[in-house]
Amino acid sequence: MVMIRLDEVTTGYKEKKPVLKELNLAMEEDQFIGVVGPNGSGKSTLVKCITRVLDPWEGTVKLDGEDISGLSRKQIAKTAAVVPQDTFISFPYSAKEVVLMGRSPYLGRFENYDEKDQKIAERAMKNTQTYRFRERKINELSGGEMQRVIVARALTQEPDLLLLDEATSHLDIGHKKEIMDTIKEKNEKEDLSVLSVHHNLNLAARYCDKILLLDEGEKHAFGRPEKVLTNSHLRAVYGIEAEVHEHPKDGSLYVSPVDKHVSSESKEKTVHVICGGGSANTLLKDLVEEGYEITAGVLNVMDSDFEKADFLDIETVTEAPFSSITERSHEKNLQMIKDADILLVTDFPVGDGNRKNIEAVEEGVRKFDKEVLLIDPENISDRDYTSDETASRTYDEIIDEEGVYAVKSTKKVFRALLNFSTGGKR
Amino acid sequence: MAHPLKGHFRKSLLAFAGLTLVTAVISLSLGSVSIPYKDIVKILLSRIPLIGEFFPEHTGPESIIILKIRLPRILLGLIAGISLSVSGSSMQGVFKNPMASPFILGVSAGGAFGAAVGIFFDLPWYLLPLIAFIFAMVTMLTVFFLGRVRGRTDISTLLLAGLAMNFLMTALTSLILFYSDPAERMSIVAWTWGSLSGTVWNEIWISLPVMVLGSGAVYAYSRDLNVIQTGETSAKQLGIEVEKTKIIQLITSSLLAAVVISFTGVIGFVGLIIPHASRLLVGPDHRKLIPISALLGGTFLMVCDAASRMSGEIWVGVITGLFGAPFFIYLLIRNRGETGW
Repeated sequence: MVMIRLDEVTTGYKEKKPVLKELNLAMEEDQFIGVVGPNGSGKSTLVKCITRVLDPWEGTVKLDGEDISGLSRKQIAKTAAVVPQDTFISFPYSAKEVVLMGRSPYLGRFENYDEKDQKIAERAMKNTQTYRFRERKINELSGGEMQRVIVARALTQEPDLLLLDEATSHLDIGHKKEIMDTIKEKNEKEDLSVLSVHHNLNLAARYCDKILLLDEGEKHAFGRPEKVLTNSHLRAVYGIEAEVHEHPKDGSLYVSPVDKHVSSESKEKTVHVICGGGSANTLLKDLVEEGYEITAGVLNVMDSDFEKADFLDIETVTEAPFSSITERSHEKNLQMIKDADILLVTDFPVGDGNRKNIEAVEEGVRKFDKEVLLIDPENISDRDYTSDETASRTYDEIIDEEGVYAVKSTKKVFRALLNFSTGGKR
Repeated sequence: MAHPLKGHFRKSLLAFAGLTLVTAVISLSLGSVSIPYKDIVKILLSRIPLIGEFFPEHTGPESIIILKIRLPRILLGLIAGISLSVSGSSMQGVFKNPMASPFILGVSAGGAFGAAVGIFFDLPWYLLPLIAFIFAMVTMLTVFFLGRVRGRTDISTLLLAGLAMNFLMTALTSLILFYSDPAERMSIVAWTWGSLSGTVWNEIWISLPVMVLGSGAVYAYSRDLNVIQTGETSAKQLGIEVEKTKIIQLITSSLLAAVVISFTGVIGFVGLIIPHASRLLVGPDHRKLIPISALLGGTFLMVCDAASRMSGEIWVGVITGLFGAPFFIYLLIRNRGETGW
């Protein structure tokens, strides 16, 4: 049975700014799935989407086989319960009163909690070690106690699916483990399906059968932890270099980021930016402000990137307006690439006029052994207007070379730059 | 000591109901003409169908004083106290804030402006409640629609819109005060402090059903209000129709307050402190809080009105403030250091 099915779901908070993009997901019953990804990748939005707090703009969400757009809030709440990151309650309800609220979806308007409801709440409290402070005021509990009360409330809903939205991120390591162990046990013994959003990759690796790696609202990878938490995926999504190890005791995976550099050093590096057509619009200014030494090329005079570079006093190889790159400019460009530590290639459109810029990138990789950062190489064909698709072919050839890195968007350039090793020759 | 009556809700409810009844009877005996309790009870009983058969009809001046003057006044005090306290409990719940009052959406400022307009243009006295009510509702609905953001009622926008409209309507009222003559000024100021004197039965026939239906609606959604306290998103995920609950609570509580103040003028403080005091007694569960608030509020306002009558008709809003504020400060001092109201 499929517990959650998302079909091409696109949604978000502001018009034209989707947070989830055409997301597909199928989660089997009784699974324990982890959702990881950087801030803003859409993890929490996914939880809101599954519980219909946020409606999809496009696509459908199915819960236990039924399209949720046709279900009432109560029906959804009987199937899926959520533990949010934190809860703030201004009035002094007792812990037990809060746990009993988990029975809300089962009660009619004038119905009161009966014996059975009390029993269910009691059991959930005993399961989460909260029973002993059931009469205490909720706003006098510690963060860990409070969060366990909220877990107890979710269990009191008797859900088939438990959604954890960074539920343990404020807790200390002992409480984290305690709560996750309780939930894992419910998953294994009582067939509770769990979808758990995590900031912490190691927690995800330890408890989850499968991991969904989100990147800017898209599914980057989905599968068993060892298939998803790989160095190349983490580099692409988080922009970090990481080592993935197997835990010697229980065989679970753990991830540790590797520092290859000291950031203050990296900032004195020279970055040569190959751009054009406005693709480096804000990037050049940001790079200068971050303290990098910047050169740029080859840009046509009157190109908006040229104007930006000129305004920022960046040393730039230029070409006359609207003309193809000449041999002379190309050589100057190569010289600058040779002198730079890092070659940064934006997602600029390539035509026959500036195809030499792509050749320059290739030479940078093959001849000068430069470290190269490509922005969005995946979609090169969309912006390759050369008559013989030179750009696409070149990218295909160099993408797997050592020293060539890729990021999905301009936003991720800075984090990636921090991880470049030495600059220059390897 | 937190929530001393929490575990004894039914008993407390009964005790408070008895207290309310006793307060009403005592209030009936107070006034410039002293009437023995025995006669009061006889006069009241003779008017009750079936039971009344056994009591001879009282026709003396005492009967007129009790039935035509004191009884409607005391009943309106009871109804106003109940309405304002229920309204305050609901508002504090929706706003998740113990500072919220029945007038948070601008009902009192709007009503006062309406009354000021009526007094300034010498409208007949019986039209004052109507115009006050119309302005109270217009102000409230304006605030409500300003607080609607993309199809949902946004609590912080609502709070700010209420603040702005309160200021605007108060400024307009003061503008009218500026151009009024001294007699009109006195009437306008009197309206903004409220009074129960001169209550007639028709006012009861209008405000009583509003109180019953309104309080009933607020109570019907009281468990939903509890769940909303843990956050609106969480409440939705617990199966609560949050938007519907908020709309019903906000509109109903504003209506409750608007109807009574249209007849009495603005009686402040009741709707703020009674929910507080009740919460200290029975805890924050709205299913208990709302009935207890109602009884406590009704009793409190009857007592304040009795004080007003005995003191030569000092405006009742002044009395609620004089009684209420020190009591409030006492609670504040006693509960300092305790978290959560």
